[in-house]
Amino acid sequence: MPEITVDGLVKSFGDQRALDSVDFTVADGELFTLLGPSGCGKSTTLMSIAGFQHPEEGRIRVGDETVFDAEKRIALPAEHRNLGIVFQSYAVWPHMTVYENLAFPLKVRRLKRGEIRSRIAKTLELVEMTPYEKRYPHELSGGQQQRVALARALVYSPSVLLLDEPFSNLDAKLRIRARSWVKDLQHQLGLTTIFVTHDQDEALSMSDRVAVMRAGEIQQIGGPEDVYHRPSNRFVAEFVGRVNLFEGVVAGVDGGHAVLELDGSPRRLTVPTAEGARVSDRVTVVVRPEAMTLLADGDTSANGTNTWDVDVHSAAFLGDHYEYELEAGALNLIAQSSRPVDGSRVRVHIPEDACSMVQ
Amino acid sequence: MATTSYTPEALPRPRRSIVPAGVLQWLTWALVVCLVLGPFLPLAYASLRDRPLYESGGVFTAQSYRELFGDRAFWHAWWNTVQFAALTTVMAVALGAAVAILCARTDLPWRRTFTKFVLLPVLLPSLGMVLGWIAVWGEGGYVTSFFNQRLHIGVPAINTIFGMALVEATRLMPIAFLTCQAALVRADSSLEDAARSAGATPLRVLRSITIPMLRPALLNSATLIFTLSIAVLGIPLLLGVPNNIQFVSSYLYTLWTNATSPDPGTVSAGAMLLLFAATLLLVVRNRLLGAEERFVSVGGKASRVALLSLGGWRWPLAALITAYLTFATLLPILGLALMSFVVFLTPLIAPWDLLTWSHWQMLDDGIFRNSIQNSLIIAVVGAVLATAFVTLATLVAHRSPFRLRRTLPFVMLYPRAIPGIIIGIGFFWAFLLTGALGDWFRNSIWGIMLAFCIRNLPLAYIVMYPTLARIGEELDRAGRAAGAGWWTTSRRIVLPLLRPAMFAAFILLFVELLNDYDPAVFLVKPGTEVMGATMLSQFIQGAVGPVAALAMVQVGLTVVVLAVGSRVFNINTTGGHDA
Repeated sequence: MPEITVDGLVKSFGDQRALDSVDFTVADGELFTLLGPSGCGKSTTLMSIAGFQHPEEGRIRVGDETVFDAEKRIALPAEHRNLGIVFQSYAVWPHMTVYENLAFPLKVRRLKRGEIRSRIAKTLELVEMTPYEKRYPHELSGGQQQRVALARALVYSPSVLLLDEPFSNLDAKLRIRARSWVKDLQHQLGLTTIFVTHDQDEALSMSDRVAVMRAGEIQQIGGPEDVYHRPSNRFVAEFVGRVNLFEGVVAGVDGGHAVLELDGSPRRLTVPTAEGARVSDRVTVVVRPEAMTLLADGDTSANGTNTWDVDVHSAAFLGDHYEYELEAGALNLIAQSSRPVDGSRVRVHIPEDACSMVQ
Repeated sequence: MATTSYTPEALPRPRRSIVPAGVLQWLTWALVVCLVLGPFLPLAYASLRDRPLYESGGVFTAQSYRELFGDRAFWHAWWNTVQFAALTTVMAVALGAAVAILCARTDLPWRRTFTKFVLLPVLLPSLGMVLGWIAVWGEGGYVTSFFNQRLHIGVPAINTIFGMALVEATRLMPIAFLTCQAALVRADSSLEDAARSAGATPLRVLRSITIPMLRPALLNSATLIFTLSIAVLGIPLLLGVPNNIQFVSSYLYTLWTNATSPDPGTVSAGAMLLLFAATLLLVVRNRLLGAEERFVSVGGKASRVALLSLGGWRWPLAALITAYLTFATLLPILGLALMSFVVFLTPLIAPWDLLTWSHWQMLDDGIFRNSIQNSLIIAVVGAVLATAFVTLATLVAHRSPFRLRRTLPFVMLYPRAIPGIIIGIGFFWAFLLTGALGDWFRNSIWGIMLAFCIRNLPLAYIVMYPTLARIGEELDRAGRAAGAGWWTTSRRIVLPLLRPAMFAAFILLFVELLNDYDPAVFLVKPGTEVMGATMLSQFIQGAVGPVAALAMVQVGLTVVVLAVGSRVFNINTTGGHDA
């Protein structure tokens, strides 16, 4: 079973660096996600693996086969890489029926008619599209077209599956259903998969591991929880979910804790220091809004550390929770809470273990 | 859910195609470049030799250019040509833009019908239309004498520079109309709605928003119309020369056909200068425009909801456009038809006293019969071959990894700027210099077909490209990922989706190849006559009736093919797949 190794990819468009030394390895059977804003190089990376773009430097291996090596001038054409790919637009050929769409890759491989028929039947069953085999794409809904695209990418048993933002053309409800369906299918087949998206919810909910990209560079690779709770830098923290950022100088270190003097505020913040920060280091601390605790009047469960009286600037009801914008002097904070807050002032507690330091 | 271990099965690897895609792409590119640019090298060579290339010996010299520059008649012809082209451009663009705005942005009655009929003149055989104009608007024409003698209103003579520009402007006006209409349809009409909401009157919107938005389209069509009108041959030959007005094209034609002292060297030098001017205009046009402005698809889309209410002007304006279409298109065709049925055309004698079938009977014989046959063969075979060739070249240009692909659009569009007579002279020399192959082309209709096809290559490309651009690139990538090579992907996925555009290109090419004439006047030989060239030579010899009958054959074929074609084409575009 193949694992995918991407090693030192560099690609420029004009003087713009689209990929700047991109490395990663996708394990056998893993669902690996490239996450980042548009223009970060995630699609370029995927298209390089698929064989539609040729980087200037680097190597790509799929299993035992080197499909691309800039130095040795190896660039296997896309049609010989034997990869399955689902495009953002699905790219279901509009002049062919569902059956013909699935038959095309098999005919190109010169399979016998009987085998083509049985493979298509099996694959359509897998994506629950058997009743639609005679339909043309324009007679299908967006979600159904997506299943056809996926079936077409699976019907010839490719060694790897590549997904290029496959959910971005679906409406919000369908998108969530499709997500778990694709995840289940991938898990069931155990097929090595690379998934490209700009949507952090998709990335977190589906992936075994996530690589966050920015401006052609990988910022962090890790499991969804790692990336969310222990972002390696400010960009990752801000891109993956909403976040409170505290900047300041370390005023004192005591055991596993450090006390920060925050910029533009007399308040102090106590945080755990795993990495051994030293006095007078400048650090940035991130805290997720859902980790902030809003205390009811008279609640003394939290001691004095990291507990502040703040102004409520605005409140929004979001169905399952409330979101508050808070002001503590010059600091602006976001906090989420499942219960409403009365009045214009509130006590907020920032649990120490919710704080993580980033570069 | 149970995890079944997935193993990629070792299906047979996709077969590699017999002809590698790279070789096919190279061949296509080389053929396009050779055929389009090839004829100009022998032309330049011929212009620099001291004697015609078919005579042996000879040395390099600039003598031809010196002779040409020393000839006052040549400069005079240039001056006439520039005046004519400028007048044509102004009139055609003003008229085309006005009608386009009226049809695309107002509640003008019958605007859809107008949109269709306004396009007709550019597709009708131009020589035939000039004959029709002579029949009704010429010195002794029906309309002229009606106005002069019954109403005592003078009408401008069409054998002056202004008159000729008027005739040419009515033919080229559809180009301005199409370009402006496409720009208007593309432009977001909410821009105009916003101005209305901001308090502007409809006329103010027109002046401050709509017309400024059209500026690129106006500039684009103006340069194209100017380029096309400096090269026109039929109008000066039929209207100008009898009145002693020479254009560059007719000057070169006369010099070439002058039996007593033909001077191919000087003609080639003149053609080189014309080529230089046309190329310069093309470069200017490319500078002025973004790339996509050049690709205006033929065939209007459904117009938007009327924006501007014309109020009391609705019917007078509709009547005006109807009158224009009647006098500039319908009456010339009727005049042409009448001309083909009477012994000679005169308003002084009732036409039924002069009725005759003899002109039409002559078509069954000799040179006329030959011309019709040859033209039909050229139109059918040429349109099929050129459509296939342009399709392949367009795929290489826009859907292949071929290294030099970006040069192809420019090369394919180049002939559009080149006067037909230059293409004719170029191929004449090219055939002369390429030995047995050239002889075969020179002595058969295929040489003329080749010249016609090259001249009309841009048309096919202009029709093809917008459709190809709308076919998402992920469709062919999906084909490649599925294991198909470039050629299989193109054949099985892109070509079926391109079919409506290929059909439209075929129809347009058929019509153009049927009616084209100016590249042929330098290539015809006894036995290889085509309709347009025959009409020109026979008209000059005074055989007006049979020429009118021949022109009617062209008009009839053109109208029928376009009507059938647009019907099938419309069904294809609206009922087809929108990728």
